[in-house]
Amino acid sequence: MENGRRKFLKIASHAIGGTLAAGVAAPVVGLAVHPWLKETVYGIEDFINIGKLDDFQVGIPKKMTITSSKMDAWNIFEGLVMGSVWVVRAEDNTLSVFSTNCPHLGCGIDWGADVNQFLCPCHGGVFDVNGRKISGPSPRDLYTFETKIENNNILVKYKKC
Amino acid sequence: MANKFREWIEDRTGLNNFLKVMLDEPVHGGAKWSYVFGSGLVFLFILQVVTGILMAGFYSPSSTSAWGSVYYIQEKTSFGWFVRGLHHFGSSAMIILAIVHMFQVFIFGAYKKPRELNWISGVILLLFLMGFGLTGYLLPWDQKGYWATQVATNIIGTIPVIGDYIKIIHQGGSDYGNFTLTRFYAIHTFLLPISLVFFLFIHILLFRKHGVTPYWKTSEEILKNRIDPFWPDQIFKDVVFAIGMYAILAGWVFWNGGAELQAPADPASNFLARPEWYFLFLFQLLKYCQGNFLIVGTVVVPTLAVIFLFVLPFIDRNPSKYPSKRVPFFSVVFSGLAGVIALTTVAIHHDSHDVHIRHQVEDSEKQAVRAKKLAARGVPPQGGMSIFLNDPVFLGEKIFKESCAGCHKLKGEGGENGTDFTNFGSREWVSELLKNPKDARYFKESGAMPPVSLPDESLLDMTEFLLSQSGDLLNKNSARIEKGRELVLRGNCVICHPFGDKEAKKIAPNLTEYLSEAWLKEFIKNPADLKFYGTRNKMPAFDKLSNRELDALAQYLLTLSKDRELVSEKEDAGKPYLFGLSVPRTMIDFKNKSYAILQTEAEKTTRRKSM
Repeated sequence: MENGRRKFLKIASHAIGGTLAAGVAAPVVGLAVHPWLKETVYGIEDFINIGKLDDFQVGIPKKMTITSSKMDAWNIFEGLVMGSVWVVRAEDNTLSVFSTNCPHLGCGIDWGADVNQFLCPCHGGVFDVNGRKISGPSPRDLYTFETKIENNNILVKYKKC
Repeated sequence: MANKFREWIEDRTGLNNFLKVMLDEPVHGGAKWSYVFGSGLVFLFILQVVTGILMAGFYSPSSTSAWGSVYYIQEKTSFGWFVRGLHHFGSSAMIILAIVHMFQVFIFGAYKKPRELNWISGVILLLFLMGFGLTGYLLPWDQKGYWATQVATNIIGTIPVIGDYIKIIHQGGSDYGNFTLTRFYAIHTFLLPISLVFFLFIHILLFRKHGVTPYWKTSEEILKNRIDPFWPDQIFKDVVFAIGMYAILAGWVFWNGGAELQAPADPASNFLARPEWYFLFLFQLLKYCQGNFLIVGTVVVPTLAVIFLFVLPFIDRNPSKYPSKRVPFFSVVFSGLAGVIALTTVAIHHDSHDVHIRHQVEDSEKQAVRAKKLAARGVPPQGGMSIFLNDPVFLGEKIFKESCAGCHKLKGEGGENGTDFTNFGSREWVSELLKNPKDARYFKESGAMPPVSLPDESLLDMTEFLLSQSGDLLNKNSARIEKGRELVLRGNCVICHPFGDKEAKKIAPNLTEYLSEAWLKEFIKNPADLKFYGTRNKMPAFDKLSNRELDALAQYLLTLSKDRELVSEKEDAGKPYLFGLSVPRTMIDFKNKSYAILQTEAEKTTRRKSM
């Protein structure tokens, strides 16, 4: 009799304790996984204006700074430098916009005006004016960004690579 | 395999044996419901630890980011408001339960020899609890925490000789700033928890050593013969109590929509400083300790009370646990409790009956709503207060001062030509207008409308109806609206004023949606329009204002009376959400509404720049 009662109490305690733990865990886990559910750091513009088409000479890459507003959790940072891009204007006025970070390990890429090539100072990656890999350890061509031109303004869809 | 693993663990740690010792503690006299409070406190403490650690993963203790991060937890995360609510109300629950636990121990005489140290370690734990409450209150860096904690640190400053030094060390300087938050945070999340766990360990160890103190009438025979094992007999009761408590706590959090978050701390404001409810008695006590007697309330009385609690087991040396044999101690302790309850009641009663204080509370709630609304666009890095810099109401006030104040008076300042905007759009303003349009406050000699010669009550009815059309009237009185509708639509008003069709024109202004945000904007753009004053108009048209400026001005005008609320805010506030899950800005879906708002804002900015 007494043993039966204790047995019941043990099962009941486990059940109630488990329910309690689940009740506490649900909101706690719900909050903990917040960064999976929502983006916490993001630029607030899809396409960022980086200048006028007329300011770029055909065939000569020009490095442009990307300035936009960024949300960082609760903060808004306005006019923040988010990074930079290489802009190359082709003869037909189409644009190629490359990331300034090498696809190999992220070093900043320079334009070698004397050799007409993009050169990575870290591990010797070399890319041509169209961003195609010529030599070096990079696994791929330069990263490019989606671009459009509206009223002579160059708009770039910039995301950190 | 599993068995082998268990054996290995057992061999190396002796875990089973340890658990057996922990769980098989004999409860002399049997398991009792009156013993559940201590373990209930342990459960609540664990809950505080879990919710606290989680929030620490979102919180940022600096004067520029604390408010923003708490806002983020509260409004932008799923379950954040609930977890914060559990933590906030959980602290109150702990205080209540600690007091109950203490009184149970006191009434049962469980502090007597040989349990003096049980009692003393318990008193220390209670003081730690209060320390948690005091330091945690400041962390959101909102108006409430900021101003209430100012009082608390200034109280520390009243301690003779060393007070000022402690205060400066404690707040990290002579004024509140980044170091105040980092220090309060360090104390709240490291110093106090570690100390509390240490004393809790001692407290429980001593309890295990001496066992429970049963009800004083329990006979020796029962004590000897009725022995229940701690597991499962007592634990079952503990768990039932814990889940009951959690259900009430979670329900309370849900019912209140989580803990409140006031507007960001503004050192220039005159916010109503009130401590958390369990400190109200001390707060009230200070009102009676004036001038040089301040120290009586801040130091002397609390110190004496704590000393009394510490020495209680040594002055009450009578081994009998019968309350009838301990009358002097019962009377001291219970009169102390009665005093605390009385002071708390007086404090609450006073605040709820003081009109000035009630208005201040209303204003601060309004400001809190506004702050949350503005913070949704992001808090600039200068800190919480800077959200008000981009506030349309703020901009509207600026435009009013530049463009309107030349003719329109507001609170005694401004020109004489136009109508007075003090309390503009309120019930009082409109009903007085009806009573005497030619008054100096309104249209003066140019007022073409005859006064409405009806009793004041009827004027209020008409006002209620007129203002209710705009949908932003607070505390609508539907009986009045109906009476007012009769009076306006069946009376003489409609002879001159069009109603029901926004574009209809008669000889006097169209009163459809009178004084609504849209009506005001149309009016400001062109008061000479035939649907408004037509040829009788004297006010210049402000059609040069941009849409943003016009919005701002209209919104500002609505804030001039306490009877109205901003419609554009109401729409957002009404958004239903459960645990914040229905309006997610997920990784997959980028086209969330708040994002769209931000985007249009950004577009406007670029457009303005390119213009």
